[in-house]
Amino acid sequence: MICGLDLGSRNVKIALMEGNELKGTYIYDTMQFYRAYARKQEGKLVVDFKRLGLPPAEKVVSTGYGRLTVEVAGAAVIPEIKAHVLGAVYQTGRKDFTLIDLGGQDSKVIQVKNGKVADFMTNDKCAASSGRYLENMAAVLGIDLEELSKHYERPVELNSTCAVFGETELIGKIVEGYSIPSLAAGVNYTIFKRILPMVKKMGNKVIVFTGGVAYNEALKNIMEKELNVEVLVPALPQFNGALGCCIYGGES
Amino acid sequence: MRKIGITTTVPVEVIYAAGCIPVDINNIFITGEHPQQKVEAAEIAGYPRNVCGWIKGLYTTILEEKDIREVIAVTQGDCTNTHALMETLELQGVKTIPFAFPFDRDKDLLRLQIEKLMAYFEVDWEQVLIVKKRLDAIRKKVWEIDRLTWEENRVSGFDNHLFQVNCSDFKGEPESFDREISQFLERACHAPELKQDVRLGFIGVPPIISGLYHYLESIGARVVFNEIQRQFTMPFETDDLVEQYRLYTYPYHVLNRIEDIKREIKRRNLDGLIHYTQSFCFRQIEDLIFRQELDVPILTLEGDKPAQLDARSKMRIDAFVEMLRWNK
Repeated sequence: MICGLDLGSRNVKIALMEGNELKGTYIYDTMQFYRAYARKQEGKLVVDFKRLGLPPAEKVVSTGYGRLTVEVAGAAVIPEIKAHVLGAVYQTGRKDFTLIDLGGQDSKVIQVKNGKVADFMTNDKCAASSGRYLENMAAVLGIDLEELSKHYERPVELNSTCAVFGETELIGKIVEGYSIPSLAAGVNYTIFKRILPMVKKMGNKVIVFTGGVAYNEALKNIMEKELNVEVLVPALPQFNGALGCCIYGGES
Repeated sequence: MRKIGITTTVPVEVIYAAGCIPVDINNIFITGEHPQQKVEAAEIAGYPRNVCGWIKGLYTTILEEKDIREVIAVTQGDCTNTHALMETLELQGVKTIPFAFPFDRDKDLLRLQIEKLMAYFEVDWEQVLIVKKRLDAIRKKVWEIDRLTWEENRVSGFDNHLFQVNCSDFKGEPESFDREISQFLERACHAPELKQDVRLGFIGVPPIISGLYHYLESIGARVVFNEIQRQFTMPFETDDLVEQYRLYTYPYHVLNRIEDIKREIKRRNLDGLIHYTQSFCFRQIEDLIFRQELDVPILTLEGDKPAQLDARSKMRIDAFVEMLRWNK
């Protein structure tokens, strides 16, 4: 059994694989995970797999934002980009595509050629194009993420580059009387416009869309419509990194 | 002795010929204690948050260095923020001496600028050329440090950066800097070969963040080409001072830099480049030119204020180095 661990900024994702077969996926709130299931010992993070209710794994491979601040004891560590590419190749069976991974705080656009990373770009100083932004905006609109992700038609124009000021701008649009679908579509378009320069630089005819934000169907539709490309959302977009860790563990 | 502040490389020969000491403010700002506080002090004085950290650090550093009351203001060929930096410094009683690198590398205009500087410092060509000879001998030794970095793999990316960057003002004491270089060379000649397998180039202005070179080496990559820092050593043999500052690539059209970078990518057998820019700098726009013109993978790294290399940048660097290694 191989355990893949993706330590994200909002969630910790775990995948278990036996050979090439997926045995289970688990997701935890990041803060809760660190508080309840892990403790720091001699500078390393010891994960209480028993308490998590997981069967013992022969090998643990980890990735994610947390890996530099918390090295998981007994785990091999791989860079996120690598984990995500391995996961996407495994999940889609494709070898040439542009991978767009939008997570809690990170946006990554990776050009994959023949199953390997050819180039990549990520957001750097600003997280306005991430899942956290969508959560905040949905809260302002008083709807959940599922409802937010339905709308992409007749979007309102939102201009703010700052996610916090974006909330104020959205409130202004609510006052002006725009409908919730239009406002939600505007929010989804904002994400698209934010990642567009990166996508254009990494251009490809096929996009594989992963990360928690990939559950947003409106964004998938917007990408297909605006870029005129095939957009594949694999079965487990949020577990893509954790699956990539398992694949790496199986190969190495 | 009269100290003259400089905020970027200028014909330093003129300053030395006048018996003055040039002081590269960048170096004393970033190596001084609490550089972050200097940036904050400038913000308190009214510098906007979304302005380059170097400019803010320079402002506070110059005001604190009470024995530097004259600063050479490069009004063309560095950055336009310098204009406001000099204006706000003048408001505080600091004298500024304007100098401009002509954008099109026009030799006559450059000569005129150098001669105006010479007139300010009351020196003639003979005095300036004597200094040039003296400094060229030191520069040549630093070229050797650079060669030992990329050809013999005996010098770290940081030492390469440090010795080259110090060629902007020769640390204010060319003779002792010369001795320091000689001692370093003696050790470096016999140093064991460094084994990092990924060879990187660092292009762009020197970083405001620290720990970058060491971090790269800890993950098996090494900077064997520091583009702008190398330019500070005037890496071209010429007896003509005007021509020397004309060949210096940094202050002119970016295409001159690209030509130099392309040559060094090949010569030094580079696997990839890190393009470093400051947050809010016009050079962030030039990133698209480098990506279009250079045929190697590029990681764009952005620094804002003086600090240790942050976790996000480390994550991006890890992925980049891994990608280069994967594709080798």
